Amino acid sequence: MKGSKILLVDDEAVFTANMSKLLSHRGYRVKTAGSGEDAIRILEAEDVDVIVLDLKMPGMDGIATLREIQKLGLFSQTLILTGHGSIDTALEAVKLGAYDYLTKPCEIDELVSKIEGAWEKKGDAEQKDRSAKIQKVIESPSAAFDLFPRKKKIG
Amino acid sequence: MNNRITLNGTADAQGVDTLRKTHHVNLFRRFILLTVVCSLLPLLAVGWWTYLHYAGFAHTRMIEGFETQLEHHRRVIELFLKEKSAQLHLIAHTHTRAELVNGSTLNDVFDLINREYWTIKDLGVIDARGNHLAYVGPYDLMDKNYAQTFWFTPTMEKGLYISDMFMGFRKVPHFIIAVTRTEGNEKWILRATIDTEAFRSLVENVKIGKTGEVYLLNRQGIYQTSPRFSGKIMSKAGYPVGPIHDGIRIIEGHREGRNRIPRQIVCQTWLAQPRWLLVVRQDFTEALEAVNHANRATLIFLVLSAMMILIVAGFITRHMITIIKKRDAESDQLNQQLIQTSKLASIGELSAGVAHEINNPLAIILTEKQLIQDLAAVDPVTLPELQAQLKDSTQQIDIQVQRCKRITENLLRFSRRTHSLIEPVDVNQFLREVVDLMEREARSGGVRFLTDLKNDLPVILSDPSQLQQVFLNLITNAIDAHDQKGLGTIRIHTRSGGEPGIEVVIADTGIGISSENLNKIFDPFFTTKPVGKGTGLGLSICYSIVRQLGGRITVLSEPGKGSEFTLFLPLRPPREFMDQMAETEPLLERKVAA
Repeated sequence: MKGSKILLVDDEAVFTANMSKLLSHRGYRVKTAGSGEDAIRILEAEDVDVIVLDLKMPGMDGIATLREIQKLGLFSQTLILTGHGSIDTALEAVKLGAYDYLTKPCEIDELVSKIEGAWEKKGDAEQKDRSAKIQKVIESPSAAFDLFPRKKKIG
Repeated sequence: MNNRITLNGTADAQGVDTLRKTHHVNLFRRFILLTVVCSLLPLLAVGWWTYLHYAGFAHTRMIEGFETQLEHHRRVIELFLKEKSAQLHLIAHTHTRAELVNGSTLNDVFDLINREYWTIKDLGVIDARGNHLAYVGPYDLMDKNYAQTFWFTPTMEKGLYISDMFMGFRKVPHFIIAVTRTEGNEKWILRATIDTEAFRSLVENVKIGKTGEVYLLNRQGIYQTSPRFSGKIMSKAGYPVGPIHDGIRIIEGHREGRNRIPRQIVCQTWLAQPRWLLVVRQDFTEALEAVNHANRATLIFLVLSAMMILIVAGFITRHMITIIKKRDAESDQLNQQLIQTSKLASIGELSAGVAHEINNPLAIILTEKQLIQDLAAVDPVTLPELQAQLKDSTQQIDIQVQRCKRITENLLRFSRRTHSLIEPVDVNQFLREVVDLMEREARSGGVRFLTDLKNDLPVILSDPSQLQQVFLNLITNAIDAHDQKGLGTIRIHTRSGGEPGIEVVIADTGIGISSENLNKIFDPFFTTKPVGKGTGLGLSICYSIVRQLGGRITVLSEPGKGSEFTLFLPLRPPREFMDQMAETEPLLERKVAA
């Protein structure tokens, strides 16, 4: 969906720059991060719909970054991009809660379709969460105090 | 020329072979030596011990035998002499001289003595002056005077005298027994000549074996009886008799002065009265014949046993060496497989890294191409040549990136640990599907499939997707092998393996594999296909998959005629493989769920 906010995380600056341009041409709002640390910083500051995460990075690698992202408790969906050699790691990432994985090199169309899938899933998750919260508030209005400050903080 | 390898044959195999051969020969020698030392030596020791023991025993027995015999003869001779002496004594003391001299009393006595058997030749009565008073016997001796004879004085002194053999008046060897009696103041002598024949037969008729003899010697070493071989009565013996000794003396060896005769055993004893030496003598070899016979038997037995041991040892050793050779060959093959496996493993690791590193730049190239395409779409290039070139270039970039991707994918598949499923596979059914899949491609290359699938094959536990890859690779290679031939067949044959499992033979009629290439076909990146056509990973992937599934892959090829790949697949994959599967399985389920 056009206008979705994408975060590209890859240590290859040329790749992120090119990808960023390609995705912008296709109507996405794109942010890039050169490392796992950068990505976490950005995620703490702003809301992102889909994160495209490279697995093999110097410093904090893809799996570590994914763990950190999970800790933030976001609805953002993570799409793993792998050099294929680390398919074990890709599967592990999926096990940790990543949406799916893609092998490099990949066609832009392929990536776009996966991003769309991730975006939809994020929508579903948000919807589900929202219904659950409403349900809770209906059951016990005082729960709203527990729920909203947290929501505020994330928002 | 028919080349066969099971795996990577090494160049220095010949050197190893020679080394092995010398090793085996040495081993053979050592085994034989050990067997000989361990079995022949004890055997010989036992044989030697038995020989010594038995020889000693037999010798003692023989000596005892001699002693008994000697003792017996002595007793017989002494008894004879004693009896004769006693008879004379009795006659002398029961008759007076007058009685014996007058009338026929002496004649009667003579007849009485000789009544039982002839032992006394003549009988005479002699007075103290040596005159013959009376005589009975064949000779005319009445007028003889015996006062000067050698026996007269000792007889007069001792009362009883037994002479040595002597010739006397009658010139015939004989000996006498004389006793005295004192009547008033007058001494007289009763003298008897012992029948020489009767006495000699006592001694000379004794026969001991072929070489044994019994004889008597007096103190001067003169034969008192005729020995069987050594001499004649009254002649002198060839050796000194030595001093008188008590009891029995045994002498073994060559008699002095007579070197030429065989070794002898001599048993001798001195008689009490007269002082004669009784000798029993026999050749040593004859006396010990029983021992020698036993020894010969023992020797034959020993030689036979030794030969048996040697033959059996030879057979056993040969058998063992054969087993060792087989084991060595097996271990060689195993070592080669190990080398191949570890080589593949290290190449696998390397190729995974390389593939990953190449994939990143490829991804960038792809994004660059996409960018150019995007731009061209937004702002169409007006210059037609540039537009054409741009289209061409981006297309070519795509093609080349795809080619690279295929290489890296193959590399990764080669190195990747398996993540597939183990399930029952009907190999025949499976092969039919694969053949169906490949039929179109084969037909376009002029190649026909011949299938010969045995029906009684067991269902094996294996990984269908990996097996499919193996069969596809092998069949693709088989089809490609006909590129230069145009026509051909691929025979696919299944059968039960020698050990529990299945054998699949994929034989083609293609160009075959040269012997120098045969060693390399399973090596990664080795290919005979034109550049860009093959990655050189197909067979090494096949190899690593088959190894992982616990099977074997062997190749038989004749250049120009074709190649034959034989796959052995076990009934179930090895345990390590199953364990590995168990580890990765939950992950796969999760992936499916996602």
